[in-house]
Amino acid sequence: MIDSTNNTPLISARGLKRYYHRGSEVVKAVDGIDLDIQRGEMVSILGPSGSGKTTLMNMLSGLDAPDDGSLTINGREVARLGEDELTEVRRGVLGFIFQKFHLLPTLSVRENVELPLLFLHRKPDEKKTVEILEKVGLQDRAGHLPREFSGGQMQRVAIARALITEPLLLIADEPTGNLDKANGEATFAIFRSLVEKQGMTILVTTHNTSLGSLSDRVITLEDGRIASDERNQL
Amino acid sequence: MSFIKLAAKNLLHRPARTSLTVIGVALAVAVAVSLMGFNIGYRQSISASIDKLGFQIMIMAKGCPYEAATMMLKGGSGLLYLPDSALKEIRRDPEIDSITPVFIGLARKESVSIRDDADSAFLIISGIDRPSFEVMKPWLGFSQGKGYEGGRWFADDSVDEVVMGYEAAEFEQRKVGDTIYISITPDGEVEPQMHQYKVVGVLERTGTQDDGTVFMPISTAQKVFNRQNQLTIIGIKLKEFTGYAFHEFEQRWNKIPEVQVVGLQQVKTTMISLVETAQTMIAAVAVIAIIVAIIGVINSILMSIFERTGEIGIMKAIGATRSDIFQLIWLETFFLCLAGGVVGSLASLAGSHLVESALRLLIDIGVRGSIVQISAKIIISAIIASSATGLFAGLYPAWRASSMSPIAAIREGE
Repeated sequence: MIDSTNNTPLISARGLKRYYHRGSEVVKAVDGIDLDIQRGEMVSILGPSGSGKTTLMNMLSGLDAPDDGSLTINGREVARLGEDELTEVRRGVLGFIFQKFHLLPTLSVRENVELPLLFLHRKPDEKKTVEILEKVGLQDRAGHLPREFSGGQMQRVAIARALITEPLLLIADEPTGNLDKANGEATFAIFRSLVEKQGMTILVTTHNTSLGSLSDRVITLEDGRIASDERNQL
Repeated sequence: MSFIKLAAKNLLHRPARTSLTVIGVALAVAVAVSLMGFNIGYRQSISASIDKLGFQIMIMAKGCPYEAATMMLKGGSGLLYLPDSALKEIRRDPEIDSITPVFIGLARKESVSIRDDADSAFLIISGIDRPSFEVMKPWLGFSQGKGYEGGRWFADDSVDEVVMGYEAAEFEQRKVGDTIYISITPDGEVEPQMHQYKVVGVLERTGTQDDGTVFMPISTAQKVFNRQNQLTIIGIKLKEFTGYAFHEFEQRWNKIPEVQVVGLQQVKTTMISLVETAQTMIAAVAVIAIIVAIIGVINSILMSIFERTGEIGIMKAIGATRSDIFQLIWLETFFLCLAGGVVGSLASLAGSHLVESALRLLIDIGVRGSIVQISAKIIISAIIASSATGLFAGLYPAWRASSMSPIAAIREGE
C-alpha cells in the first residue's frame, strides 16, 4: 500500500533540459522544465506531437538522463546517475505502460505479468497475481498468449504487469494511443480507481484532452516548455 | 518463471532457426566426436592387432618396414622372403623364449563370385609350424556349433588339409569337412595350379588378420608356392622383453645381410604414423566445422537480439539489469550449444558404424576390429566442450544486448 503520510513530492524537476542534435540543428525537446509531482495524484501531460511529452516522460521515469537540470525521484537525485543506478531507482518504484503494450509474445498473460518479479529476484505470489488480474478483468485468461488478445486486453495485461511490483508511480506513455474510445476510457477508469483506492501516483501522456480531463492535473507542453499546468475539479 | 525457462521459451519461439543452429553445432560435434573415437579406436585396434600376433619381434627380409607392418596385419602384395637358414641360426639365441616361422603366400580363389572385388579375389595362405605357432597364440580355438563339430588342426605333414580363419570360412561359405579349391601360381611359373583341400577346422573369431587367413602346414605351403626353404617372417618372443633386450637382440641379428629385425612396438608406431596424416586432415575439417558452427550460433543469437530489441528495452525498463540481460542471452547461446552437443554426440554414436565403413573405404586402415570407439568419456567431454564453446560464443551477443540503452532499444523496437 502507498505511504500517504509522506508529503515530499514523488518527483521534483528543476531546469530540466534535453537537447538533440539533428545535423547542425539543435532540437530542444525539453527546454528548462520545473515540475513537482505529488504523491497520490494523477497527472496527464498533453501536447501536440513533438512538444516533448515522451522525452519528458523518459527523463521523469529514469529511462533517459537530462542534459541539464536536477531531477529527484522518491527523494533521490537521479540526473547524473549511470544506467545501472537508474535501473536500481526504477526497480520496484516505477511501473511502465507503453503505447504498443510490449508484451513478450512467448509468455502467457500470467508470465508476462510476473516478469518484473524475475528481475527483482522475488518469487511470484499466485494469490497476488490473480488479485491484480481481477483488477484488470483478465483473471480467467491467465494462461493465454498475448496474440489471442485484442489491443484493449493487451493494454490491461500491460497495466497488470506494471502493478505487480506495487510501484509508487505508474508511468504511462500514450497508453490509449492504440485503443478505441471505449478501451481508452476503460484504461483511464482503471487508472482512476488505482489513484482513488490505492493512492497511487500516475503520470500519463495523451493526445486526448477529454481523457486528460479525468486526471487530477493536466500539464500542457509546447516546444519543450510547460504552456499550462491546471488542476481539474473531479 | 526463471531465466532458464525464459531463455528456453525464446529459443522455442523460433523453432526453424533454433533447429538449424542446433544442427550446425551437432554436425561439428559429430565430426569431432567421430574423430576422437577414431583416434582412440584406431590406436587400440592397432595395439590389439599387433599384440595378438603373439610375438614381440619379427625377423623378415630386408625391405620397407611400413610394408612389413601392413603385410603382417592385412596381407599385402610384393611379399619378400628370407632363407630358412636364418631360422636355424637365430633359434640358437639364448634370450629367445619361443620362436615360430611363418610362410605367407597369396592365392587366387578358384571361382570369383559377384561379391568379390579385386582385393577379395585373393586368399591369404599362411604356412605355419603348428606346434610353435600354438605356443605363440595360445588363445586360438576352434568354432563350435552346427557344421563346425570336430574342428582340429591339420596333421603336421598333411598336404591336403587346411584350417580356415573365421571370416575366410564365412566368406567362402565353408564348414568343417567341406572342400575348398585354391589356385596358386608357383614361383617361377606363369600358369596357376589348382589345389583341392579339405577344411578340417574353422578358428574362432580373433579380431585379427588370422580371421581372414587359410592355414596349412609350412612345408606344404612352401611346396605349392615353389619356395622351399623360404620364409616370410620369423616371430620371436624373448624371455625378458625390455627396450634394452630388444636393442641387444637387434644388434646381434641385423648382422645377417638378408634380414631385418622389427620390434612390434616399432610397428605400432609406424602403423599409427601412417594414419596420422589422414587424422590431421580430418581434425582440420573438424576445426573448420566448429568455427563455422560458432559463427552460426553467434549469427543466430545476434539476429534474435536485433529482432527482440524492443523486448530487451522493455525488460530493462521494468527492472532488468545489464547482468540480467547478459545472463538471459548467454543462457540461450549455452542451450543452443548444449543441445547441439547432445544431438551431435548421439548422432555420432548412432552413426559410428557408418563412419567406420567410410574411413575403411577412404583410408587403407590395415587392421581388423572396430576402429571407431566412442566411449562415455568422449561423449561427456564433447558435451562439456560444446557447452563451454556456447558460453564463449555467447559473450559478444550477450554483451551487445546488455549494453543497449533501454529507451533507444524501445524506440528501435517500435
